[in-house]
Amino acid sequence: MLAEVNSLVDADNGLISTRIFAEPEIYQEELEQIFARCWLFLCHETQIPQPGDFMTTYMGEDPVLVARDRSGNINAFLNICRHRGNRLCRAESGNAAAFICAYHGWAYGNDGGLQAVPNLQDAYYSELDTNKWGLIPVAQLDSYKGLIFATFDASAPPLLDYLGDVTWYLDFFFDRREGGVEVVGGMHKWILPANWKMPSENFCGDGYHTAWSHLSATTTGFGGEFRSKPSGEGKVISTGNGHCIVALGAEDQTDPSVPVILAYEAEIKQEVEKRLGDRINLVKPHAGTIFPNFSILRSIARTFRVWQPRGPGHTEIQAGVFVDKAAPPEVKEAFRIQAIRGFGPSGGFEQDDMDNWQGCSESGRGFISKRQRLNIAMGKGHESYDEKLSGWASDYRISENNHRNYYRRWGQMMSAANWSEL
Amino acid sequence: MRDETIREIEQFLYREARLLDDRKFHEWLELLTDDIRYWMPVRSNRYPVISKAISILDGSRYEEDELSKEGELAIMDEDKDSLTRRVQRLDTGMAWAEDPPSRTRHFVSNVQLEPGANDSELNVYSNFIMYRTRAETEVDFYVGCREDVLRKVGGQWKVAYRKIVLDQTVLLAKNVSNFF
Repeated sequence: MLAEVNSLVDADNGLISTRIFAEPEIYQEELEQIFARCWLFLCHETQIPQPGDFMTTYMGEDPVLVARDRSGNINAFLNICRHRGNRLCRAESGNAAAFICAYHGWAYGNDGGLQAVPNLQDAYYSELDTNKWGLIPVAQLDSYKGLIFATFDASAPPLLDYLGDVTWYLDFFFDRREGGVEVVGGMHKWILPANWKMPSENFCGDGYHTAWSHLSATTTGFGGEFRSKPSGEGKVISTGNGHCIVALGAEDQTDPSVPVILAYEAEIKQEVEKRLGDRINLVKPHAGTIFPNFSILRSIARTFRVWQPRGPGHTEIQAGVFVDKAAPPEVKEAFRIQAIRGFGPSGGFEQDDMDNWQGCSESGRGFISKRQRLNIAMGKGHESYDEKLSGWASDYRISENNHRNYYRRWGQMMSAANWSEL
Repeated sequence: MRDETIREIEQFLYREARLLDDRKFHEWLELLTDDIRYWMPVRSNRYPVISKAISILDGSRYEEDELSKEGELAIMDEDKDSLTRRVQRLDTGMAWAEDPPSRTRHFVSNVQLEPGANDSELNVYSNFIMYRTRAETEVDFYVGCREDVLRKVGGQWKVAYRKIVLDQTVLLAKNVSNFF
């Protein structure tokens, strides 16, 4: 794949091929090289707080069951019965001691163990070793500040190494106050007719589109005032391993302009500074993507989303809303309302993104279009490593520095035979 | 419920649907009370308590209701002000989800009336199909039901509360950029 990847992504010169958004062969390679190897976001721990709580999700196109066992440990398994491969749990969430396959009745505990097999004595002559036929677990599972990640690759580096220097930025979203955040009940799930990398790259570094794409939403009051009165400061920051953060100036107002929210933010500012350190006086992170497909946002809406790949031309979006656990109820409610009106399927901001991402993805299907290189060269050469920010940071607030680093990592993952090559 | 009241309410709902399909959104807003609550909860795929596909560990916290609750996530959770801003956004010429505009057709059926909380209100139940086509080949079906409270204000019926329940859990449409 290496030779071909070089023709698809030329990060140094800011050029990428439209083929990476459209071709089935490239998509199949992604499932193996990226989704079967990277750490992928599963859920937040507050979504399954008690023993027995479970939810189902995906890692790439592989269905996954995430469950808290009787001792409170969180496990994740392929959501597939070991017998004939039927989907084991068909519910999105719930609470269970055991999961029973609807086909022949094989039963698994919430720790993944195979507990019961109908006709084990007579039809199987007790010759089936149930210890060997438990659910297939992920290779590694770990969490960071309540965010649960897993990988199917036993040789992948530990989660903390994988995240690297993006952890401080995750803290800025998920650990500003004691207790961290909690996820509001329910998820937005919908199908985007675009390649999964389009939204991933958008959240990773596209501060460029907001002024034009979302002008209708800002002028009619769907977001904060920061779009109309930016300080001009801000950076896009690549902390390594493909993880990317978009930040505005430290004094820029990125929160929804709702009095109860602004008052809350002013009230906790010193507490946050004490917890997160001086860096919050340099930049105000407000969006980002953890490679490959977990994106976060905290301006307008406090939301996270996983861009689940569904073939080269489709993505299932799974999105949730988070709030500081320590925030008072009226503040949580204000954030909930802002998130619903700004983001999600009906969001005044997000509904418009879908159309653009669809258009970008579909163009790669034409024979002539497929020959074209797309341009992610904005600000090339106008970035440098910033020790204070622990990442490659753009000189200007709008730059495609992050796009280049995201796709550079994509190319590395697609061509590397193993983690030691990365 | 008197036949003429039923007819009156049906005609109100049909007129409302026609305004939406004709994209006369400002006129549609006039059919809503100033204190309207317009709510579309999210729906998720769940096993009922009786399901034998799971053995429930903690029955006290098991929730089989597929709909999100008050205070949880929703697809829309609107008041008159936010609905007005949604309409104003469509007037900017830059609301890309509706530019070019959707072509919608609302079908309203199964209308049932019940007495409301007071003499000026009625509880109205209905089913709907909203067919949307857009651009070259885009097609979406939004199918569900509504629970309305209609209130007579100054001799005219208005929508004071609307709960909209879509039947899909994972929405197959790329967005929800129209009204129901």
